[in-house]
Amino acid sequence: MAKGSGIIERSLLQDDQIMEEDNLVMDGIDISGRWNTMLKTRVHSERDLDSWDDVRASAIGESIDNCIQCGMCTAGCTVAHEVPGFNPRQFIYWVRVGRKDDLIKNADIIWRCVGCYICTNHCPKEVNTAEVIESIGQWLRKQVPEKMDQAYLANHEAYRHQLETYGRLSLPRLQAEFLSKLGRQKELFGPDLRQAAIRMLKDGRALKTLLIGRPRHWNRSRSVLMESGQT
Amino acid sequence: MQTAYFPGCSLKTIDRAYDVSTRVIAQDLGMTLVDVEDYSCCGAGELKGEGLKSHFLPARNLAHLINQGETEVMVSCNVCYHELSRTAYAVKQGGVHLDQIQSMLKAADEPQILEQPTVRNTLEYLVNVIGLDEIAKRVRVPLTGLRVAPYYGCLYQRPAKMLSSVQIAGEDTEHPHFMHDLMAALGATVVEHRAETTCCGGKNLLSDEKISGRLTGRILSTAKSSGADVLALMCPKCAGGLDALQFRAIGTVGESAQLPVMYYTQLIGIAFGHRPEELHVGDMESDAMGLIRQFLSEPAIR
Repeated sequence: MAKGSGIIERSLLQDDQIMEEDNLVMDGIDISGRWNTMLKTRVHSERDLDSWDDVRASAIGESIDNCIQCGMCTAGCTVAHEVPGFNPRQFIYWVRVGRKDDLIKNADIIWRCVGCYICTNHCPKEVNTAEVIESIGQWLRKQVPEKMDQAYLANHEAYRHQLETYGRLSLPRLQAEFLSKLGRQKELFGPDLRQAAIRMLKDGRALKTLLIGRPRHWNRSRSVLMESGQT
Repeated sequence: MQTAYFPGCSLKTIDRAYDVSTRVIAQDLGMTLVDVEDYSCCGAGELKGEGLKSHFLPARNLAHLINQGETEVMVSCNVCYHELSRTAYAVKQGGVHLDQIQSMLKAADEPQILEQPTVRNTLEYLVNVIGLDEIAKRVRVPLTGLRVAPYYGCLYQRPAKMLSSVQIAGEDTEHPHFMHDLMAALGATVVEHRAETTCCGGKNLLSDEKISGRLTGRILSTAKSSGADVLALMCPKCAGGLDALQFRAIGTVGESAQLPVMYYTQLIGIAFGHRPEELHVGDMESDAMGLIRQFLSEPAIR
């Protein structure tokens, strides 16, 4: 049987948090079997509150302090049911108690939020959970860029670059930039996308995407977007 | 009746089907759509991580709206709708955030937001401002016998406190029903499928193929197994996963995810007697055209 399989909401726990022994005797009593599943005691020895300061200071993360750890966000979460370990309630907890190591260990999981806002909608304390999670993700991207998923970074950079450069999005151009950042540009002409691309060429949509243009005086708006320092 | 309208990037290009069908039915209903001038992208949710800066692009569009002498704008695309509403909400909250939004606009030499803008969704606008009776009156080809599964996605009703669909129009944030009501008014059989507000994973459509395939696969197969002929959409980002990349959903959950997908505005257009070509039904990657041709050619089953 898989480790900790008897635990409700097992997907929210990581393997190394669970202890199970084949034969376990405590105080002379054999407790092997169903009763030998235990969670490791968590000891807070080092608190690094960097993340907390950063998140609550950001415009999208400032509602984090309203959180009462009720778990409504995680109960309804789209991604918690898909990605083991994705647990918004726990991410907020880690930020507030300064568990930087746990956050960094999960750098590759937190970005998977799909921004569906179920958490924000369910929160009884008006935490904008979806955006708090985004804020935590951004903090991680600054702390440990090397630990972030390549596809996530490529997606974000492609969007950013398209927005900055053109002020408008051409989705085929975005997809091309995303794939070429990952060295996967061949897929553009692969069997999956070829048919759609040919149709768009024929019916004029491809031309429309090329002619989307830029907003007037885009350079000025662009420099506002490029300015750093604002959160 | 003159109505300010914000199509956005996607509707101007590959999702022209949604734009054209919105314009066609608006004309039938006696609305004159006036585009927001010199539009820019709404940010598509990708700038949220940059905090207040994420309000800049929506604010720029809202400032242009106000500058045109309008305070209310109708938006078809759910992503634009959400982004513009989010910024309109920040404007309403006022305070330091609003000051910073205004100073960003000033730095970019754009007009200030001098009045409170109201952002409305086309679906909610059709039901509440135009009215279901008025829409039912224009139906030339009732969709009798067509089993339509409405799909709202996320951003039309969440987060509730920022959106006019919930705040002004009184849409139910857990169980939205305006598209249900609209499809029933067109004579269609409305299919309840319990995935109406399930997320399609659109934000990570490109970067997280596995999750996107699973989420879209589940929505499509749930709708299909509930007996739907077609899934009615209202978001181009959802269209990316559910229609354009439907092959990925089929690859993940199998043939049960193969289902024609259309914008609800196209279905209204069909019911109003327009030809499918006029509404660009053929732009959909799923076999929506096949379904509509079959539906129109077999009056007997209706």
